[in-house]
Amino acid sequence: MATGTDQVVGFGLVAVSLIIFTYYTTWVILLPFIDSQHVIHKYFLPRAYAVLIPLATGLLLLLFVGKTPILQWSPDLAGCASTL
Amino acid sequence: ALCYLPEPERGRKFPRHRPENYSSQKAVRRKSSSRRGLPDADADLNATLRATMTKLTQWLWVLVLLGSAWAALTMGALGLELPFPCQEVLWPLPAYLLVSAGCYALGTVGYRVATFHDCEDAARELQSQILEARADLARRGLRF
Repeated sequence: MATGTDQVVGFGLVAVSLIIFTYYTTWVILLPFIDSQHVIHKYFLPRAYAVLIPLATGLLLLLFVGKTPILQWSPDLAGCASTL
Repeated sequence: ALCYLPEPERGRKFPRHRPENYSSQKAVRRKSSSRRGLPDADADLNATLRATMTKLTQWLWVLVLLGSAWAALTMGALGLELPFPCQEVLWPLPAYLLVSAGCYALGTVGYRVATFHDCEDAARELQSQILEARADLARRGLRF
């Protein structure tokens, strides 16, 4: 088993993904079958946002993938080459 | 130096590219099969059954088929009257599948990070061996 922060981060990611999945599944799949007068509809945004929010998030992620440097030039690499 | 690579098995899709001497290979195969007494049709059938469709094409085919089915159903092109809740579930379906695929990916990555087998003893031993090696090499004159 991994230790320390690895475990925390890992299980945190699992929890986040489960939360998002259950909320989104309830929103998209279950709500249309529930009576529109039920109190649960109070906890969910109007249905159009079920497509708009993931779309906007996806576009933002794509834009930022292009912006941030993936590889970072580190001085260690240059130092390694000089000893050979 | 390529002798250690495994021979592609008969009927496997790899390598996908056709070698330039394909026709001569076919002739060789034909000769060997007739020498074994097998019918030539066997070699031809083998050649035609060998799939030339790449994985990308397969994925695109599946996406196009499912996408056209979804488009036809949401726009009512097939003329069948779906009950309203089913219509409501149907139109966000591509977004839903993408989001759930993303959640699955995130969850799998997180789970594997959390259950990765750290070998702490081996790591400590390796670090001490590295220090030993550095000291030894420095003693022999190599400058770090």
